[in-house]
Amino acid sequence: MIERMSFPFHPFVLPFLIGMSFVLIYCLYGIVKILVQLTRDERRRFLLSLIKPSTAWKNIKDIFLNCLLHVKLWKRNRMLGFMHSSIAFGWFMIIVLGHVEVMLFLPDRVHLLYYPIFFNFFVAETESTIGGAVLFFLMDFFLLVILTGIVLAMVKRVRSRIFGMRRTTRASFLDTVGLYSLWAIFPLRLLSESFTAHISGGSFLTVPMNWIFRQFLGNDLYYLPTWWAYSIALGIFMAVLPFTRYMHIPAEMMLIPMRNAGLRIMHPRKGFARVQVLSCPGCGVCIDACPMSARKENLKDCTVYLNRQIRRGNEPRIEEISDKCLLCGKCTEVCQVGVDGPALRLAQRSMRKYGINQHYNIIDPEGYIGALGSAKVLYFAGCMTHLTPGIKKSVLSVLDKAGVRYSVMDPDGGLCCGRPMMMAGRWEQTRELIRLNTSIIKASGCDTLLLSCPICYRIFAQKYRLDGIRVVHHSVFFNELSRQGRLAVKRDPELRLAYHDPCELGRGCGIYDEPREAVSAAGVLVEGEKNREESICCGGSLGSITLSYEKRRDITLKSLMNMKAGSPDAIITACPLCSSTFGHYSDIPVKDIAELLDSKS
Amino acid sequence: MENKDQILVIGGGVAGMEAARQLKSLGFKPILVEKGPALGGHVASWNRLFPDMTPVRKVLDPLTSSLEGVEVLLDTTVESVSRSQREYTVVLTRGRVIKCPAIIIATGFKLFEARKKEEYGYGIYDRVITNKDLENWFNTGEDGRVPDRPSAVGFVHCVGSRDIKAGNQQCSKVCCITAIKQAIEVKERFPQAEVYCFYMDLRLFGKKYEDFYINAQRDCGIHFIRGRVSEVAELIDGRVQVKAEDTLSGRPVKVKLDLLVLMSGIVCNPANNHLASELSVPLDEDGFLRSRDNIFSVTESDRPGVFFAGTCTGPKTIPETLSEARGAALGVYNYLKGKK
Amino acid sequence: MDFGFNLSPSSAVELDKVDTSLFRELCRIEPGARTCIGCGSCSATCTASEHSGMSVRKLLLSLQRGKMRDVEKMLTCCMLCGKCTMVCPRGINTRRIILTVCRLYENVEGRI
Repeated sequence: MIERMSFPFHPFVLPFLIGMSFVLIYCLYGIVKILVQLTRDERRRFLLSLIKPSTAWKNIKDIFLNCLLHVKLWKRNRMLGFMHSSIAFGWFMIIVLGHVEVMLFLPDRVHLLYYPIFFNFFVAETESTIGGAVLFFLMDFFLLVILTGIVLAMVKRVRSRIFGMRRTTRASFLDTVGLYSLWAIFPLRLLSESFTAHISGGSFLTVPMNWIFRQFLGNDLYYLPTWWAYSIALGIFMAVLPFTRYMHIPAEMMLIPMRNAGLRIMHPRKGFARVQVLSCPGCGVCIDACPMSARKENLKDCTVYLNRQIRRGNEPRIEEISDKCLLCGKCTEVCQVGVDGPALRLAQRSMRKYGINQHYNIIDPEGYIGALGSAKVLYFAGCMTHLTPGIKKSVLSVLDKAGVRYSVMDPDGGLCCGRPMMMAGRWEQTRELIRLNTSIIKASGCDTLLLSCPICYRIFAQKYRLDGIRVVHHSVFFNELSRQGRLAVKRDPELRLAYHDPCELGRGCGIYDEPREAVSAAGVLVEGEKNREESICCGGSLGSITLSYEKRRDITLKSLMNMKAGSPDAIITACPLCSSTFGHYSDIPVKDIAELLDSKS
Repeated sequence: MENKDQILVIGGGVAGMEAARQLKSLGFKPILVEKGPALGGHVASWNRLFPDMTPVRKVLDPLTSSLEGVEVLLDTTVESVSRSQREYTVVLTRGRVIKCPAIIIATGFKLFEARKKEEYGYGIYDRVITNKDLENWFNTGEDGRVPDRPSAVGFVHCVGSRDIKAGNQQCSKVCCITAIKQAIEVKERFPQAEVYCFYMDLRLFGKKYEDFYINAQRDCGIHFIRGRVSEVAELIDGRVQVKAEDTLSGRPVKVKLDLLVLMSGIVCNPANNHLASELSVPLDEDGFLRSRDNIFSVTESDRPGVFFAGTCTGPKTIPETLSEARGAALGVYNYLKGKK
Repeated sequence: MDFGFNLSPSSAVELDKVDTSLFRELCRIEPGARTCIGCGSCSATCTASEHSGMSVRKLLLSLQRGKMRDVEKMLTCCMLCGKCTMVCPRGINTRRIILTVCRLYENVEGRI
């Protein structure tokens, strides 16, 4: 390999060079800005995590698996996974191999930003080497991989259903520019490299193409226009990248280490939130996943549009989207980047100023402490369970049958757990409620806090500091009792039961197996079409502030339809709110796990 | 075969019975189809009727006896309907096919399933019953849930009525007066018991209804509390504690009761859905059948030859139902006279 | 002019003089606020009612009668638990009403 030109530069590299420099400066500026926006503590934690070997290794692994190989996407849909990883990984390999080529053949050109990209333009092949042939082969191979990805991307544009997507996002103007320039880059690269393959060498793709072109265009191929076009396509893509969804490529590489460092979204726009928003690839997987998509008018209220509106600074729409969401967490579950939509919305809600700020100093916890019993198991029914007396009665009945001694924390109504306040983004009020309830629970001398409502369970398990008191949901506790033989459950092999995962218990706390085991002990478990991590919110969630009762109806019907996929005799859930929401519309019985086990023991 | 005078009446409650009776006296040959094993519908399970405390038999007996000679098909429902130019061909269960030029729909209502308002604890607590259960107890004296000597009894109005969560926005019209009637009857049987009525609004529009109300207040000392019950909890001794707001004083109230009676409301009969689609008559938003208009043609549908009688178009009292049945029969008469 | 006596201020609410702008603004945001039938379900079930006299029914009424201080007082202990939303027979989004009123009070400081 020798350098073909007397000077290692040609004006056609300028578009690329300008675009690339712009992106690099933009990203550098962005990183600095985001680091400045972090609190001192967050920043310290983040920077330390980068040099800590365990997190550093995890960062590299996660970036490789998620950004390049798109492992999560593969799990969702193979076509979608192949399309993304072929483009991302193929491109990555071409860049790496380009550098290898330069380092191998012309090591003193490595410092030139554009050189590895346009290597084939600047060099001429003097003699064939095995090493060169392998490299050329790999270059052509990965180019082919990318091109198949691009073809799939074009197919997806017209027929997204093949890729398991019913709805995709409507692209903005700049997204379209980015998209077309991205599509153009690789065919143009193929064209350019084929045009020069008789000089710079090539492999199974470029050499035969070069031969064909020469049959038509003669031996002296005029190759400059194709190289110009290739560079311009690259330049345009780079120049618009910061303003398009393709910003997710650099942003995700920032998101993964920040998440691994344990950062949380505290401000809706700054710091970590900014990285989350920029990491959204705008693929629209969350549109189909969002339970609100049961109504057409809500299609633009899912996380992908929240991110887009935040990037555009459209405040009224940001507010609207933030308040409507049910906070079911499904968008985060299906998002291959893991953008935490609910957390962004909560942070947005937390920014509001109120003229009336709740405070609970006039509430005396002693009034509740006085009514407590002394048993080791303390049962907190929670607000919602008071409106579903069947659940409460069954829980107590099961405890009696299993010989568990218990006392009830809120026999005549108690305080709220704080989760609803938290879902309204009001941290201070939440903290106060946590403080009050904590003092009551600690005064009881219990060692187990038993809960019926997943809304309560989530905050008690994740935000309360109860010093060794076990926090347990009745579905888990009763399953234990049944496994230990303390609760004899009679199984009805004819009874088909579909278990609905409440959002707060499933996605919120990761409890999927124990309730299923408990249901299986009483009947035949059948699954809804979507289940576990992908179960559909019942529509009753306290997460949404603005959705009216009437507008939740379609969500409930959609979720019910999903539950009835296995034609069950009854729907079993583990949440008083789900149970009463379904109860409004279901034509088959809806029961809580406690009611089921009580009736079968 | 002569089908010209044959008229199908669907539903054997008071509306269907009265319609059949009137058709018979107008010279038609009504065929009365009832899905249950006996005629009389919901009324048959009641004990006494407002506003004169008339025993149910005094209404049903004359109706039944006047149906002599009318073909009555019990335990039968409509499977499908097709329409040719002049007549309807109705396929019934048990293989019967009827051709008739006109149909009167008198399929009535369904009593709201009190179990659906879970917070009231019907089917969960032992001391919670419905208005229908109470009437049944008046009739038979048998219901383990009704205590021997209650000292406090409560009535909850509007259970499943005027309640969007229960899927019924409409007022059931008859529960207010039924609650007062039943409260008076309970007070008569248990003079020592305190009786509470929890209401949202008292809608006592009919003749003599207000007299009932005054009677309940003045002579029976029934407590009327303006507030909807929101929660019912069971006490250790089996009694139930009811929580409501006394909205007139603006204070929350709690009361321990030996018996709680839920006034289940009138809701649309889901059997109408099938019938409506077979006959292509539209349903209203509330699920009841839609009259051609709500002033002039309440008993007429949008389909020629299809008439409505009674609560299949919305909640009604018995006298209203009977008048509509007569109106529907007359409607059939006029419709067929015009066609001759 | 001095008549030698004073009229004591009437306890009647003069409906035509009450400033209901906040209520109207609330109804613009959440039209359901107008559909309350005052059944009292929300008050009876309320977790905070025994602490601050919270009641969505009274809240809506007080706003329409210009009793701004009452509103502020009763709202102080609301925990947003959502029971009132669950029991409302009219399906009113009470939690949104509560949050909206709390926000709107930002601008009414001078009025109280």
